Amino acid sequence: MIDGMGTITEQRFRQGMTFQQWKDSMTRNRDRVEEQERRIKLTPQQLAPFRRRPLHVLAIGADWCPDVYGNLPVLARLAAEAPELDLRVFDRDQNADLMDQYLKGGKFRSIPVMAFFDAGWREIGVFIERPESVTALRAQKRREIFAAHPEFGSPDAPVDQLPEDVRARLMDELGKMRESTMDFANGEVVRELAAIVQKP
Amino acid sequence: MTSPLKVRITYCAECGYEPQTLDLTNGLMREFGHRLSSIEIIPWAEGTFDVRVGDELVHSMSRDGGFPDPRTVSAAVRRHLAP
Repeated sequence: MIDGMGTITEQRFRQGMTFQQWKDSMTRNRDRVEEQERRIKLTPQQLAPFRRRPLHVLAIGADWCPDVYGNLPVLARLAAEAPELDLRVFDRDQNADLMDQYLKGGKFRSIPVMAFFDAGWREIGVFIERPESVTALRAQKRREIFAAHPEFGSPDAPVDQLPEDVRARLMDELGKMRESTMDFANGEVVRELAAIVQKP
Repeated sequence: MTSPLKVRITYCAECGYEPQTLDLTNGLMREFGHRLSSIEIIPWAEGTFDVRVGDELVHSMSRDGGFPDPRTVSAAVRRHLAP
């Protein structure tokens, strides 16, 4: 997460899709988005920070990106439970003017972007891609997988040198790891978004 | 007769890198045709974009950053094909 420097007009914001329209526009991974929507359970305590004032939320995504189909449904569930959140979704590659306002580290078109604006269109804060805590946990779990499976070789080596059957098992292990860290990741996204909306 | 030369492209299938993979493959097919023994495309994850020519890792996104310049890959192929 980083602080953003973006600006947007209400007219430009209204050109975005509702979350349902974005889902209808998807060409892949809609099943994963809807699985996430079903999976996410929000407590009243988690929801409370999002119900304090009206906010506009500009989200930028793409249907092929795991961080988008993982994290955007978290925001959508919050918006479904908190009518104070006015969410619009933009496709990354069709909205370069917006995307280029929110480059990660000033360089990378990382997604999802979730930019929060108050009722006067003043930007409050921005979430980009995923929480650092999630990156760190998954990196640690990845190292543990390689330590437990010497046949996978070095965690830093290119995978194309692995035999195909070993490569397939590695992909399977990485998929299971991702699944096992999903609830933690969802909680961390809610926590980081709550920290943004509680800013003055 | 030259030894068979294979090119492997490992790309992140979760990152939308298909266009770059197909552009590079298309360029290699057009430039080298049957002088390459095969072009292997490996769908992977984890932000990968690696290109190996023979045994040489010509480009690695994690090592070198970004996508390869196709001219660099072509130059590596020509070097390996040279007797």
